[in-house]
Amino acid sequence: MLVVSDLSKTYAPGGEPAMAGLDFTVGEREFVCIVGSSGCGKTTMLRCLSGLIPPTEGSIELEGRAVQGPPEDMAYVFQDYSRSLLPWQTVAGNVSFPLKYKGLSKAEAAAATEEALAAVGLADRGRSYPWQLSGGMQQRVAIARALAYKPRILLMDEPFASVDAQTRAELEDLLLDIWRRFEITVLFVTHDIDEAVYLSQRVLVLHKPAHVFEAIDVDLPAERDQMDTKKLPRFGELRSRVLASLRAPDTTSA
Amino acid sequence: MIRARLGDWALALVVPLLLLVGYDLWARGAGDFFFPPLSVIGGNFADDWLFERVPTDLLPSLARMLAGYAIAVAIGVVAGMVLGSLRTLAIALDPVLQFLRALPPPTLIPVSLLVFGAGDSAKIFLIALGALWPVLLNTVDGVRGVDPTVLDMARSYRIPARARLLRVVLPAALPRIFAGARTALAIAIILMVVSELVGASNGVGHTVQLAQRGFNIPEMWAGTVLLGLVGFAFNALFVAVERRALGWHHGSTGRGGAPTRRTRLRRERPRPVLTPTRTAVAVESAAAGPAPTEGSVPDARRQ
Repeated sequence: MLVVSDLSKTYAPGGEPAMAGLDFTVGEREFVCIVGSSGCGKTTMLRCLSGLIPPTEGSIELEGRAVQGPPEDMAYVFQDYSRSLLPWQTVAGNVSFPLKYKGLSKAEAAAATEEALAAVGLADRGRSYPWQLSGGMQQRVAIARALAYKPRILLMDEPFASVDAQTRAELEDLLLDIWRRFEITVLFVTHDIDEAVYLSQRVLVLHKPAHVFEAIDVDLPAERDQMDTKKLPRFGELRSRVLASLRAPDTTSA
Repeated sequence: MIRARLGDWALALVVPLLLLVGYDLWARGAGDFFFPPLSVIGGNFADDWLFERVPTDLLPSLARMLAGYAIAVAIGVVAGMVLGSLRTLAIALDPVLQFLRALPPPTLIPVSLLVFGAGDSAKIFLIALGALWPVLLNTVDGVRGVDPTVLDMARSYRIPARARLLRVVLPAALPRIFAGARTALAIAIILMVVSELVGASNGVGHTVQLAQRGFNIPEMWAGTVLLGLVGFAFNALFVAVERRALGWHHGSTGRGGAPTRRTRLRRERPRPVLTPTRTAVAVESAAAGPAPTEGSVPDARRQ
């Protein structure tokens, strides 16, 4: 589905690379989390993957096609929901904003918007403005906008980093539900180890400059539950493994 | 709630009324030729401006002012969008713009009279030139201050460049554009009067000057009062337009009275109540400089 090979990015010529030799593959309908300490180049990686900036070296292929600009089959959910939503548009206006330019008719766009808002539990808030909603609800709007765009892959940049713990747990379960129902692939960047293990089928541990230090398969039962899953001994083991991997001295050659 | 608002209105009327009464009492006692009592000024006002001179002097003045202002806003916004988006061009043109902006527009009256003659064009040119800078510079700042996340979002959703400019950058810069347009409005009204002091055959400023020269002091005061009222009315009109266009902005930044009683009652369609916004500050410091923004860091673009 998504094949990233030997991706590198150096901003200033001759300067420190932000990303060096990044290699990984994401399968169809897989849920992959990427963890890394802050400043390890996660943002650079996401901006390259989403086609916003070109890599210095290497290639990205999405469904067999090279990514050169923002791909049609991808939607990006930003960490800062309050800044990625348009404050002059209503919630429904924000969700349907990209659809017109995707070639959808008014009726199709309205239907897709309604469906997406219902999927995130905001069916009745379409006429509100984003700034009238709580942080968690605003991020749901951003997720609804991504869903209405009908991508095959969802790229998420620490989307739940700035909401409270309770809301975060709700949003995590909402995302898992959406991932199953909409049959999409999710690439989820976070710095929260619990979140990475809880959500994903596979955790990629990034070291600086951004490259995959270790890939850890999450062999937890497919059905996740905030209480039960996190009580499993296996959950604790995986957590420790990811943590150890994050802290491990880098032995791979970049 | 309504009673509280009426109370505010009444309170706001007290000081002007006291000033008027105080002036009138003083003027009646003093009997100064240059400061006639209110009744005399009022009588002249009624004779001149209700409505005999409205078509011959007031309307020509306002038409020139609005024409110049419209030109200034149109050019300022379009050029500002271009300069705000093209960093290189903005840097290259910066010294020229700063120089032109620093020229006090009245100094151009002799030049514009030579170029355009004594008709309306010279006056419209002067008004447009003076009102242009606050709009232009604020638009540039507004465009540069657009949040990079919003631009990334628009690009990642493959919004075409034209739509990004008109439907993302322009609305995002609108609060700054309005701040500039409000400063420009005050300048346009000033220049409307100034432009009529030289080489004019009609207009409110012309009337006031003629009255002064003919020692027709009450008529001079009547014209002055009219100019004050014109400025007041246009500012009120501007505030009303701005409140409509930027309701989202006042709501999202919690400014302009958004968290007050009225908005809380009607969450779906926020309409901030009348409160001075930061744009009001810009008018007072009418030196045509860009007004302060909150939270926007120009050139904070990533990568």
